Amino acid sequence: MLELKDLHAEVEGEGIEILKGVNLTVTKGEIHAIMGPNGSGKSTLAKVVAGHPEYEVTKGDILFNGESILELDPDERAHAGVFLAFQYPVEVPGVTNNTLLRESYNTIAASRGREEMDPLEFDDYIREKLDLVEMNPDFLERSVNAGFSGGEKKRNEIFQMAVLQPTLSLLDETDSGLDIDALKIVSQGINKLHGDDDAVVLITHYQRLLNYIVPDQVHVMIGGRIVKTGGKELALELEERGYDWLESLATVNGEAK
Amino acid sequence: MAHPERIEPSIMHELATQVSDSRNSLWTDIRDNGLMVLNSSSFPSKKIEEWKFINLKPVSRTDFVHIEDAGTLPAIDIEKYFLPESDRSRLVFINGSYHEKYSSIGGLGKGVTVGNLADYSKDDHVKEYLNKLVNYENDVFSAYNSFMFEDGAFIHLEKEAKAEAPIQILNLYTDSSQAFVANPRMLVVAEEDSDVTIIEDHIGLGENRYMTIPVSEVKVKQRAHIHHVRIQRDSIDAFHFSRPIAYVEKNSEYHSYTITLGGKITRNEPRVIQEAEEVDFTLDGLVLIDGDQVADTHSVMDHRFSFAESHQLHKVVVNGNAHSIFNGKIFVRRDAQKIDSFQENRNLLLSRDGLVNTKPQLEIFADDVLCSHGATIGQLDPEEVFYLQSRGMTEEKAKEVLTYAFALETIENVKVESVHKLLIQEVYRYTKANSNPKVLA
Repeated sequence: MLELKDLHAEVEGEGIEILKGVNLTVTKGEIHAIMGPNGSGKSTLAKVVAGHPEYEVTKGDILFNGESILELDPDERAHAGVFLAFQYPVEVPGVTNNTLLRESYNTIAASRGREEMDPLEFDDYIREKLDLVEMNPDFLERSVNAGFSGGEKKRNEIFQMAVLQPTLSLLDETDSGLDIDALKIVSQGINKLHGDDDAVVLITHYQRLLNYIVPDQVHVMIGGRIVKTGGKELALELEERGYDWLESLATVNGEAK
Repeated sequence: MAHPERIEPSIMHELATQVSDSRNSLWTDIRDNGLMVLNSSSFPSKKIEEWKFINLKPVSRTDFVHIEDAGTLPAIDIEKYFLPESDRSRLVFINGSYHEKYSSIGGLGKGVTVGNLADYSKDDHVKEYLNKLVNYENDVFSAYNSFMFEDGAFIHLEKEAKAEAPIQILNLYTDSSQAFVANPRMLVVAEEDSDVTIIEDHIGLGENRYMTIPVSEVKVKQRAHIHHVRIQRDSIDAFHFSRPIAYVEKNSEYHSYTITLGGKITRNEPRVIQEAEEVDFTLDGLVLIDGDQVADTHSVMDHRFSFAESHQLHKVVVNGNAHSIFNGKIFVRRDAQKIDSFQENRNLLLSRDGLVNTKPQLEIFADDVLCSHGATIGQLDPEEVFYLQSRGMTEEKAKEVLTYAFALETIENVKVESVHKLLIQEVYRYTKANSNPKVLA
């Protein structure tokens, strides 16, 4: 489903390379976790896959279902099935959740040849998704993220994921800022949404999320590269030992690697 | 009557000299008063602090002619501008003159008087307040209006009278072959415990050049409420100089919303003067400009007594070479304690060549007050654009949605449904027309 091949990326116009050759393959039906210390490039990786204009891919490729998506705009990637749950969801005062989601759903539906929904149909559809993240229907009429607490914003991201039904979900530190109850609700939501036909990439600092969502693979990212890959037990090991013991792997062959 | 004599040539003087001595006027004293100011005041120039950002040369270089010589075309299809809510509470002025046949009054219930000022020249309230409230120092524009106007809107509410429908004051300006000047006038007197909503609409029917100088005087007595919406949809080549001034008495409320869409040069000078304790007033504005439009708001909120709550949100979207100017003066006089005043000017620049000058100006002489103020100038946030794009919207659509959302906030409080809808359409039309590659993000 997703294949990153020797992916290099830098901040547009600044020449600072952040991704320094990432290789990653995510197959349909899988859950992957990407862990790593601050500043290792995890969030950048998610943004680059989603097409953030701030970053420029200087080398390598991103294949989605076998085709390069490097030339696609963020909205075209969304149409193809990519979804990014933001680490810091943006507030959009004046646009209600309902309006944003109906607009998004219908645009994506149209591009994938699915039926668009009229406001009434959409209302029924969206309400059943609300239950998934235990959100109050009032949220629908509120402006997107405006005045939401940190936890509400994160829940809203997963709610959007539920509505838009992406095939590849990149969840960027969705667990941060959530209390333990909210973490459970969000994790359960993600588990329910995940099936055989889609893939999830979790970006996280903490092992605790992985108590609720069991990954097929865990990757450790340091210095803009994936330096180690393992099963779910790798996360526990990281929890215990930190990242220090892996730092050397990042430079094992020197910067010339 | 003597013609204005002057040392420095000024367009307003020249215009005044065109008027024949023999003109009969209902308003002799007011007219003389206006003439006096015209005689003693010069036309504003950039050398004056209050006018330093605005170039009035296009005004002073225009050859205005008397309305009868301007080759005005008839006003047609004007019914489409009638508000359904004001079906029986509407006054129509064309180029400043009252037109009874398009007007409709009688749907306002007991104690509400609405009509042409010229028909109420003997009315006690008119005698008491007309031209007494207008207070703009050495201002040739309001003086010219005082010198020239004959017709105007008169609204009076008796004690405890509640207007049953919003009153629409529809000012239409017709297409013409030459530039002319219109002088709309309005007097509103709301007695104790009364309540009224006024929709003041200025619409240019063509794309011609004209100058309109609307002057309105508003008196809000104890516990009275006024909701005043002003929509400026002048022709793209028009000049608009408005002077709306309101006096608020104890426990009264005055909420005004000014939406500026049209015109080549607009200069709004809204003022609210507090006359007793415990008042609540709003002076919000929305400006959507493009091309070479210039929109300038110089406002005054004068807190003279304790316990006032005031609010001014002035939002501006600038595209093309357009230029916005804002100077919001907030005075809090020495004995005016416990004032809660909010002022914010937010500017959204969509183009490289747009220009914004903003100057919040607080002059506070009391010590127990809460005055928050701020001014921002910015472009659309790329992070917000990306967020919406990642949800499937095209870049163009995302920018359109964000601009629309930015503008919408200021019109949320407009109470009349059809007007609210109309403004949403206007905002939508503007954002649609402007979400092209000129937009930055």
